[in-house]
Amino acid sequence: MANATQTPQLSGVVGFFNDAHVLIEATKKVRDQNYQFFDCFTPYPVHGLEAAQGLKRSPLPFVTFVAGLTGGTLGYLFQYWTSAVDWPINVGGKPFHSGPAFIPITFELTVLFAALSTVGAMFLLNGLPNTRRKSVDPSVTCDRFAIVIERPPVVAEDDEKGQAKQAKYKRFDEAEAKGLLEKLGASEVRSVYAEGWF
Amino acid sequence: MQHSHSMEIRNPGPFQVSGKTRSWFMVFVALGVVAFGAGLGVDAKRTWFSFVHNHFFFMSLALGGAFFASIQFLTSAMWSAPVRRISEAFTAYIPVAMVTFAILYFGIHHIYEWSHPSVVKGDVILEGKAGYLSIAFFMVRNLVALGLLYFFTRKLVGNSLTQDVTRDYALSLKNKGLAPGFLLIFAIGFTMASFDQLMSLDPHWYSTMFGVYCFAGLFYSVLALLGIVTVLLKRNGTLAGIVNENHVHDLGKFMFAFTVFWAYIGFSQFMLIWYANLPEETGYFMTRLQGSWFYVTVFLLVGKFMTPFFLLLPRDSKRNESLLVGVGVFMLVAQWIDVLWMSQPELFKEGPRVGWIEIGTMLGFLGLFGLAVSRFMAKHNIVAIGDPRLAESVHHHHQ
Repeated sequence: MANATQTPQLSGVVGFFNDAHVLIEATKKVRDQNYQFFDCFTPYPVHGLEAAQGLKRSPLPFVTFVAGLTGGTLGYLFQYWTSAVDWPINVGGKPFHSGPAFIPITFELTVLFAALSTVGAMFLLNGLPNTRRKSVDPSVTCDRFAIVIERPPVVAEDDEKGQAKQAKYKRFDEAEAKGLLEKLGASEVRSVYAEGWF
Repeated sequence: MQHSHSMEIRNPGPFQVSGKTRSWFMVFVALGVVAFGAGLGVDAKRTWFSFVHNHFFFMSLALGGAFFASIQFLTSAMWSAPVRRISEAFTAYIPVAMVTFAILYFGIHHIYEWSHPSVVKGDVILEGKAGYLSIAFFMVRNLVALGLLYFFTRKLVGNSLTQDVTRDYALSLKNKGLAPGFLLIFAIGFTMASFDQLMSLDPHWYSTMFGVYCFAGLFYSVLALLGIVTVLLKRNGTLAGIVNENHVHDLGKFMFAFTVFWAYIGFSQFMLIWYANLPEETGYFMTRLQGSWFYVTVFLLVGKFMTPFFLLLPRDSKRNESLLVGVGVFMLVAQWIDVLWMSQPELFKEGPRVGWIEIGTMLGFLGLFGLAVSRFMAKHNIVAIGDPRLAESVHHHHQ
């Protein structure tokens, strides 16, 4: 590790909470501050948190729908091609193109495409597998809730578009963010440094 | 968790169906009696077919109410606590269904060919079934089954109503113990009812899946009705602060799920018969794929299944009350057509006939159902206010 001796880079500040309700209220306040990046970590799904964070609905169901339709259509067409076009075989005196016989496989392929695409899209949308970051603290998988306010990446002075984008959000200041989390009832507040996964 | 609010939930009390609506129900009953009476004079066979069709449709709704409530008891469901009483109200029609079944006695000779000894004699299949398909046994076993189901329903609903006053958790546990008993008798009794009342209209034909097919239709339609009534009561303010958009969403999911279930069962029944291609089994579908029955069959696929499926698929539409009511009404109509499709082809092979006899009889049964349910609602709290899981459900957020 060449960088080990250098000062680790600040990636944000974290505030820990002991209660899901306090977390939700604090999250709403943090959202109102208009930081560019912040996230919550909880040991179990907390209902209403995504609304407090102001998260938009995931496009995942749309992926499932389109993939399901695709799988079903391809499944049916493939059976039609194999049974009626490429290699017609008389099965039980039924017509080569026998719709009812194709339905179970059509259904299965609908489910298969939908399911695999959903899992794949879920990984993609969540940025998984994640080799970039470590968990903020092991306790968020056990008994504590956390809000992390992240430091946005440094944008070069001459990058006008990047600068304009960051100007739309509240400027990140380590001390100020820490103060905010303390004020919102965090039981512990500390800075987070980039460590990477390995 | 922290959802336990000490806040007392407002008891909306009983719900009075408006006098105007009740008058309409009475007009419907009168119309039904007139249509039925006149129909007997004009075409007795057709009228009795319509009678058994509508009897079965509305009996399914009433038993479906008991079925829905009992699975909530059995699973100790929290989400459904604010709407469970509505499904319990549907069960008020069960005694009426017993009466209409008893009336069916007078129509047996018109619609069930197995009831004529002259037809049975010499017919190997019918002679073999003669022990089971006899008028006395037919009447007795169906009345006994309905009676048992009514007995259990009375117990379940009675405990639920007592809990409104005593708020005793033990009653929830009691119902949890009773529910499996009800469900077992329901599974056997309703399968038998569908075999006897609908399947034996063609006594030569049989399908072991017929009972579960009728059950799929039962749950399909009762969920639609529950969704409609819940939304209407939420809209007029009766359930304000008790039922929220998440409960409506859950009912929408249920409607969607059992649309798929019905299609799955319907297709399974069809595909097995189509694949095996046995002469004694295919007749049922041959009739329904010929003449204008073919279009009704297509409607079942495209209308009864695909339409609610695609309409209810997006999350937003399950949370859209108006859309849910519209789809619910459509689903009830589709189920009515499905029962027509199960019964009437045995009389009219060339195609469906829906005239004043069918509509009139349907209105009569609708009136009876409406009166029975509104009487229950006027007598009892519209929300199971003593249910220990109500408080949690009222403040319930979920996806």
